[in-house]
Amino acid sequence: MRLFELGERTAKVHESLVTLPELAENTDVRAVLLDIADDPAALKPYLNRLELVVLRFPIFRDGRVFTQARELREYLRFSGEIRAEGHVLPDQAAFLKRCGVDSVVLPEGSDPELWKRQLDRFPVAYQRSVLPSRPVGAGLRIEEET
Amino acid sequence: MKRPVRVGAGEKLVLTANRLLDGTIVWRDRLGRWRPVIGAAEKLDAERVGDVLELAQIRAQEDGVVGVYEVAVRDVDPPEPVTVRERIRAHGPTVHPEFAVETVQ
Amino acid sequence: MSVPVGHYQYDQIDRDFLEARIAEFSEQVARRIDGSLSEDEFKPLRLMNGLYLQLHAYMLRIAIPYGTIDSKQMRMFAHIARHYDRDYGHFTTRQNIQFNWIKLEETPDILRDLATVDMHAIQTSGNCIRNVTSDEFAGAAADELVDPRVHAEILRQWSTLHPEFTFLPRKFKIAISGSPHDRVAARFHDIGILARPGDDGRTVFRIFVGGGLGRTPIIGQEIFDSVPEERLLATLEAIVRVYNAHGRRDNIYKARIKILVQALGIDAYREAVEAELAQMDLEHYRLTPEMVDAIQARFAVPELSAPENAAQELANRQRENPEFDLWVRSNTHPHREAGHIIAVVSLKPAGGIPGDATSAQMDRLADLADEYSFGELRITHLQNIVLGHVRQDRLYDLWSSLKEVDLASANIGLIGDIVACPGLDYCALANARSIPIAQKLGARFGDASLQAEIGALRINISGCINACGHHHAGHIGLLGVDKRGEEFFQITLGGRAENGASIGTILGPALPEDDTVDAIARLVDRYLGIRKDGETFLDTLDRLGDAPFKEAAYETV
Ligand code: HEM
Ligand code: SF4
Repeated sequence: MRLFELGERTAKVHESLVTLPELAENTDVRAVLLDIADDPAALKPYLNRLELVVLRFPIFRDGRVFTQARELREYLRFSGEIRAEGHVLPDQAAFLKRCGVDSVVLPEGSDPELWKRQLDRFPVAYQRSVLPSRPVGAGLRIEEET
Repeated sequence: MKRPVRVGAGEKLVLTANRLLDGTIVWRDRLGRWRPVIGAAEKLDAERVGDVLELAQIRAQEDGVVGVYEVAVRDVDPPEPVTVRERIRAHGPTVHPEFAVETVQ
Repeated sequence: MSVPVGHYQYDQIDRDFLEARIAEFSEQVARRIDGSLSEDEFKPLRLMNGLYLQLHAYMLRIAIPYGTIDSKQMRMFAHIARHYDRDYGHFTTRQNIQFNWIKLEETPDILRDLATVDMHAIQTSGNCIRNVTSDEFAGAAADELVDPRVHAEILRQWSTLHPEFTFLPRKFKIAISGSPHDRVAARFHDIGILARPGDDGRTVFRIFVGGGLGRTPIIGQEIFDSVPEERLLATLEAIVRVYNAHGRRDNIYKARIKILVQALGIDAYREAVEAELAQMDLEHYRLTPEMVDAIQARFAVPELSAPENAAQELANRQRENPEFDLWVRSNTHPHREAGHIIAVVSLKPAGGIPGDATSAQMDRLADLADEYSFGELRITHLQNIVLGHVRQDRLYDLWSSLKEVDLASANIGLIGDIVACPGLDYCALANARSIPIAQKLGARFGDASLQAEIGALRINISGCINACGHHHAGHIGLLGVDKRGEEFFQITLGGRAENGASIGTILGPALPEDDTVDAIARLVDRYLGIRKDGETFLDTLDRLGDAPFKEAAYETV
């Protein structure tokens, strides 16, 4: 497994990763894999002990991952690591990062250079994300911390 | 787009695709080359088409084509597609006679 | 450099962003060509940038945000038509332009050319928030409450490469109008917005969700009736977030927001949106008056002034020239400012292809826009072109110039003003050709005085159930269906997109192309025979129901 870090946070490898239903019984586990259909709000009781939430793309077109990440960060104020895995493209790197994802399990045959290039692609954004930002010029435009 | 193709009496199948680089409609000839005129297309029997189609799909990237599929045609020369859709692909848009495509070279 | 009238003026920051987007797309094209992206992976990426693979070639759809362009941009379309295509372009009902003969390898060059006039193809297709459409008479119409284009621009910017909403279950279309006469079909959109002035001097929004045409036509329902400006973006984020999380992804025909709104019911949908809003940090999403004013400042406002006698001049010309008079009656709309008028240039010449324009016509339209309307042009959702601010005393000169390039058809809102999708001549999804039947109908009713006699009557034609030609919303709608490999047309009557939107009902069995044209001719004849004074086609239909029309249409079949 190759991990790619989207931002500052260092991706950490965990011994055990359980699914949402398994989380209740395994009181010492610190990493959970959310199914694409799971509601992140179900993690509420466990947030204090969780260090990693893994979100899985069944296919890169399934954009629910972005909303899941955002809800974790914005509504639940989850401060641990969020990771994406599954069928995901480098073209999605900046979107993931801006929704609060820290790391990606690189699919087989990925070129990390492409991922890096995608992260630095756009000088500004036209809408707020979960990242800290400051306005640039007038209007909606912002620059985000990279 | 893959639709099941039914072959009626006096009909054959030809393979078609679009060229990746410029989108041009192409037809597969008996040497496996992709040609811009339907007159060059190899006419296949229903029994043979599965294998040829599979091979052509595997080779699509290498051959520089996209969206390979089979088209039912009347067994004449040049072959004439059975459906309006494929006739328009073979001959060009009906509303612009000046863009008509040659069907034989 | 002069600031364009009617649309947002880019600055270097916007241009750098656009350049980055082009670099990204060029690399994606290169990865596709070298095989590192499969067609399945490339397809959503190219669609997100407006590139389709159609029947004959690639098709590129270029965004015309809120339908407004300036003359330089129009000339760029002419250049693209000449250079990269076959000398024409097609204006669509969603205020975009499409080029039908594009080469994949040339698309990066086209995008670079477009960027020199601040244009792009971003989000003109794909499962993302599409080009935002607006009222073609914005900023000019006498009946307008607020010019919706400033907020349309805000929505364009907000939705551009939105990190969360670029892989939605399905496409997402937003329209915004600032007039009580809804000219954007707000209730046929995923989100429809009606803007009006609020008590505090800022703008307030009434929002509809879940409208749409396609195979399941549904009229949008009101979700909020007064959203303050500050909350506009937060509210839209919440609406789209609920959709992104819960919209169906298992069946593309059930993936639009309209299906989700129907499944949950509008009240439950509203509650879900309110639950999101309750958890959101609203300050984070606040659209401040400063932001709005900054964007507004980048729109130039035309300096209107007309001589005292402008209206009199126009009236004189109309009296002198009946042909001009006919055109003025059908092809103009009242302007908010005395001495001015809105002119609609029809792209529906009798027998022509609805919405097509040649490069020469585009160049000429650009010149005329410079000469008569502050260099501003608008594309209408009925595939015509508007010059928004014409002086009344100069309208005759404008009309004379239009006549020279065959752009003076007097048929706006009349039976010749046919809306048709590309149909089977271009579209890979079609059942039937839409254009040839449109051409036959256009030719059949080509005479301008006959059209004036028939009065308001709208024909909409779609080549398949996806309804790109809005056939459900046509007073007469035609839908292409496939009967054992032959092209047939189903007729619907009574659709309308205006206030009191409704969906047409099917008249009877589908007919072949020529029989359909004859049936419509008989049906129109019947209307002329049974209407009461002053009645439009819809009035007569509402009064008598469709029985007399059905009888006429199927008389000899
Ligand atoms: C030729 C290429 C085109 C293709 C492949 C295409 C494809 C589609 C599809 C699949 C739908 C149904 C979407 C759904 O219901 O989920 C649709 C709807 C629609 N399209 Fe197109 N279309 C094309 C051209 C156009 C053109 C030229 C216009 C404008 C003249 C247009 C405007 C629309 C509109 C307004 C709708 C229906 C409204 C709605 O979204 O509910 N499309 N199109
Ligand atoms: S309505 Fe059907 S035929 Fe017409 S453009 Fe849309 S998808 Fe194509």
